[in-house]
Amino acid sequence: MKMLRNLLKNPMFVIGMSLFLLSLLAALLGPIVHKVDLNRVAESYAPPGDGLLLGADNLGRDYISLLIKGLRSSLYVGFLAGIIATTFGTLIGIYGGFKGGWVDDILNVFTNLFIVIPQLVILILISASFKDGRSLTLIGLIIGCTGWTWSARSVRAQASALKSRDHISLARINGDGTLAIMIKHVLPYLLSYVFMVFIMQVASGILSESAISMIGLGPLDTQSLGVILNDAKANGALGDGIWWAFLPATVIITLTVFSLYLINTSMEGVFNPRLRD
Amino acid sequence: MRVTKLSVSGLPVALTVALSLLAGCKGNSAKDAGGFPRDQTLYLGGSQWGDPSTFNPLAESWQAAWPVGDRFNLMYEPLINYNSQTGQVEPLLGSLVSKSNDSIVIELNPAAKWSDGKPVTSEDVKFVYDLGRKYKDAATAYVTEFISQINVAKVGNTERLSFLVDKKGRNNPLVILDLLQAVRIVPAHIFQPLLDKNNGDLSAVKKLKVDSVPVVSGPYNLKTYSNQKIVLERRDDYWGNAALHAGQKPGPKYIIHPIFKDNNAFAIALQQGDLDASQTYIPRISVKAKDGVGTWYKKAPYFVPGSIPMLIINVTKEPLNDKAFRRAMAAAINYGDIKELAVSGYANDLKPGLIMPAGLEAKYYNEADAKAHAVAMGAASAKKILADAGYKSVFKADGSLDYMTDKTGKKLPSLSIKSPAGWSDWEAMIKIAVKSMREAGIDVREGFVDASLYWPAKPSGDFDILMDKPSASVTPSLPWSRFEAVMSSRNWAACGKSMNENQGRYNNPKAADYNPKVDSLLKAIPLLSDESALKKAYAELNDIFLDDQPAIPLVYLPEQFYEFSTKTWTGWPTEKNPSAPPQLPWVSAGIKTLWNLKAK
Amino acid sequence: MLKQHPTARFILQRGGWYLLTFFVAVAINFLLPRLGSANPVDIIMGRSSSGLSAEAAKEKEESYLKEFGLVKLDASGKILHNAAGKPIKRSTLEQFGNYVLMTFHGDLGTSFQKYPKKVTDVILQAVPWTIALQLPTIVLGWIIGNVLGALAAYKRGIFDKIFFPFAILLNSLPFFVFGMLLVYYFSVVLGWFPAMGGYAGELIPSFSLEFLGSAAYHYALPFFSIFLILAGGQAIGMRSMGIYELGTDYVKYAQWLGLKESRILAYIFRNAMLPQLTGLALSIGTMIGGALITEMIFSYPGLGMAMLTAIQNNDYPVIQGVTLIITTCVLIANFSVDILIGFLDPRVKAGLQMGGN
Repeated sequence: MKMLRNLLKNPMFVIGMSLFLLSLLAALLGPIVHKVDLNRVAESYAPPGDGLLLGADNLGRDYISLLIKGLRSSLYVGFLAGIIATTFGTLIGIYGGFKGGWVDDILNVFTNLFIVIPQLVILILISASFKDGRSLTLIGLIIGCTGWTWSARSVRAQASALKSRDHISLARINGDGTLAIMIKHVLPYLLSYVFMVFIMQVASGILSESAISMIGLGPLDTQSLGVILNDAKANGALGDGIWWAFLPATVIITLTVFSLYLINTSMEGVFNPRLRD
Repeated sequence: MRVTKLSVSGLPVALTVALSLLAGCKGNSAKDAGGFPRDQTLYLGGSQWGDPSTFNPLAESWQAAWPVGDRFNLMYEPLINYNSQTGQVEPLLGSLVSKSNDSIVIELNPAAKWSDGKPVTSEDVKFVYDLGRKYKDAATAYVTEFISQINVAKVGNTERLSFLVDKKGRNNPLVILDLLQAVRIVPAHIFQPLLDKNNGDLSAVKKLKVDSVPVVSGPYNLKTYSNQKIVLERRDDYWGNAALHAGQKPGPKYIIHPIFKDNNAFAIALQQGDLDASQTYIPRISVKAKDGVGTWYKKAPYFVPGSIPMLIINVTKEPLNDKAFRRAMAAAINYGDIKELAVSGYANDLKPGLIMPAGLEAKYYNEADAKAHAVAMGAASAKKILADAGYKSVFKADGSLDYMTDKTGKKLPSLSIKSPAGWSDWEAMIKIAVKSMREAGIDVREGFVDASLYWPAKPSGDFDILMDKPSASVTPSLPWSRFEAVMSSRNWAACGKSMNENQGRYNNPKAADYNPKVDSLLKAIPLLSDESALKKAYAELNDIFLDDQPAIPLVYLPEQFYEFSTKTWTGWPTEKNPSAPPQLPWVSAGIKTLWNLKAK
Repeated sequence: MLKQHPTARFILQRGGWYLLTFFVAVAINFLLPRLGSANPVDIIMGRSSSGLSAEAAKEKEESYLKEFGLVKLDASGKILHNAAGKPIKRSTLEQFGNYVLMTFHGDLGTSFQKYPKKVTDVILQAVPWTIALQLPTIVLGWIIGNVLGALAAYKRGIFDKIFFPFAILLNSLPFFVFGMLLVYYFSVVLGWFPAMGGYAGELIPSFSLEFLGSAAYHYALPFFSIFLILAGGQAIGMRSMGIYELGTDYVKYAQWLGLKESRILAYIFRNAMLPQLTGLALSIGTMIGGALITEMIFSYPGLGMAMLTAIQNNDYPVIQGVTLIITTCVLIANFSVDILIGFLDPRVKAGLQMGGN
């Protein structure tokens, strides 16, 4: 509780949290406020004007509808990827860091394998074997399963630092098993750290999804912020100065990721008082 | 370990200096310093996307880099050129003497010479065509189905080649004409010794790159290449300058094909004057006219139609085997939106059937026939056809389509349109088609897949509906070749086996409803020369197509998106100045433009 | 004997694990493309077989299979067929064995899609572009980012309050969109910089000042599109590390002792630099994977594009070759970082001397 109060005193946290909540609300409540209509309602790339606040895309569809749908998809992928990556990374990191020895070495090999195999290879090959092709869920899964390596590394570093702490030794003397120690004594210390890792993973998931869509390997059956950007690029909106095709989506991605980074940094400040100003 | 502190104040100074250096360099590269002066160089783009791997004219067409692959005639030349605007055969290495159902006779131009001085003779012609006879893996192996023999006769000091129609084989003089304008002649005196050196192993010869001063007959030769571009240099001793162009030389001394990785790069380069012509799809081309970008027509549709992307329907699957269902699909699609939104209005309105109501095919198009046999357009018409055939469409509460049932009440599977992901104009077409079909109650979905899954699915029939563009180039055998590609039962094979035309498996010869008229018309048309007989035959064939609807044409696209920049070179053929067909100056009769281009 | 040389044992142990990782990675990279359903020959046939008769198509397909080494041959080089008349494919194990053998001879095979280009040619032609695009950005971004971050940590105050959130904002920008925006604004609208290509079209690569100038000029936009964001990220990291160190007890103690400011700073930044250096080493190691999107936007024919087209066409040899290079570089980078930390971080050294982790 004291932690929460400290957080709320931090301006960065407040700004970050409010921005992110705004983004979340826009995604969740957007369809209620603004009817999501993906039919053709205007000319190709109609500029912002009456009725269409952010203009229309190349197929004459209302951009606000597209952006709402896109934001929902991007957040979905971000969270899915974040949850998977954090879970994976944390478990592997804690176990390896804490146990040490050859268990740690094997887990290191495992982690390195995932760093070394390009995400692209996995993405294309796995999506080629699925009848439904690339869906949002599949992309979220793949980003999560390939992006956990750095969290494993960081958590491992923290866990192995904790290993030599006194209360752990006490627990060992008491006779607690490794698993019990990990859950009862190590994890609580790392909870705040893991939460920060989760936030970073969500942010990175959102960015990864848009990067993947920009290569043309995005979800094939739905909108996402990355798909909107890719469509803008593929239809030459950039060269013709059709700013409403790519600027709003860029701003939304940037601000959402920015808000997550702010939350992360402010939490870092709270948990490590020296970083506060 | 000392860490040297970087002087912070020094940083902005350094950056400023660096930036000014760079800005200064701009002046340099814009001027004509360097290897290829801008006013002597023609930049063409849109044909080479990957790294150039080989320039061997005997390699597979898709392997060889520009301008050796496909039917480019800048380095190696075919016997004749076809003008897709006028429909005339124009002379190149040879000229057309006569054409009959027994043989096609070409007279070789005695002035034709290779770049090493030796003359182009019938030896060279026979070498490349007979390669297909000796080697099953030669690029011209299929030629043997059409040409039974090549006879050489000397008339004065010229050679006449008679290409005999293989009556026991395909018996098709039209395709021979296609071949004569596509197959490039290679120097036998270079490649035969190479074959002999490799013990007659063609695949070993195909592996050679042939990229170092190749022996060619065309107006340009390969100068240098890298992963960034391919550079050709004009041959001032090209035989055709004197023999075909009254002693004129082509305008540009160099032709450079830059290799871009992204479609946008072409549009930007064209606008900035760094590219002189491109064949990529650039939306909203009229907006770029202020930057000097031109097209054949000054106003819509800007481009001359040449090919038809269409939905190929797999008629072996239910409910696609029902003619009424297919016709309902054709009726439901919003073609107007496709034309306007998916291809930026680059076409005239779509008319029913496989015959284009424009250009050389227009004489075979019959408006009354089309109206009589074609399905009435519109969602209402589609719904009526479905209802009459017993199909029911069940909609959800929000108005969207849920599923369909057939007349027995059985729930029908959702159908998917397979198309490669990333081809933005095709994607847009399919999205619009799916949307309008669903609104009419037809349960189809977009099925975008990676190209690696699309290409193998095409011959094996592994699709419900496939997006394709058969007969993409304008050749002498149109419109017959389009019908052949969509309706021929010649090589009919069940799904799972490979078919290289009619991948929708239309008109199964073993089925009870086999219509022998289709194949008999397809066999007969290449042998007809009487215009009225041809009109009648095409009308009959088109009517069958309209009745059965085995495929659904979506829009008219040009053979090439012919767009050019007038910033550096003028003299481009347009509607007002039809000095050559609307092609980039690198295939067929389009190459004539090179002699008309003048630097500003 | 090894017990008396903990450093050597450390290196060997680490090296051993990395070698294991290397072999497993190579095997996986070999297997993955083959598990996909798309056969490279099918893809080629689908693309180029329209209009061929069934006979001709079959001949063509078999000749490709033979060229690509995917089928069993008899003594005279003819394809072996099974009872159904189909060519017998070589087993994956056999192909793998062949691959390993050829790789030891330095022959990475021939590309399927860019036939008959050799894989080594594909890689050698693409790598300079990738390195030229990324190395300067990574190094400069690292240097400038860390300097700015250190400054922010040291000075704090207004500079930090404005600079820090701005750096975070910069870091949140998707770098590819940033690249596109730069192209739009500085090239299309203002016309100050070229939009694509590695150097001016009319020049031939050489070591002339003009060529290098043109290359630098063309490099401006791609450089900035990656550099600014990279620098922002580094600055943030360095700032956190710097602030952390500045608040430690030993610094306070050193200040009370009256040590010179510059000396204290030297200690601080040595400690803060360590994780940053490991980050740099890792970045350089993974850079070979290519900045795919930047290469696409600016038409730089680097390794990223080569890999993408290879994967899209299931071009086994190129995929194997490129992933081999990536694996090697990343593992060497990681290995060096481990050794580097081992030597530079006294805590690790102490841990070693005490025997085991």
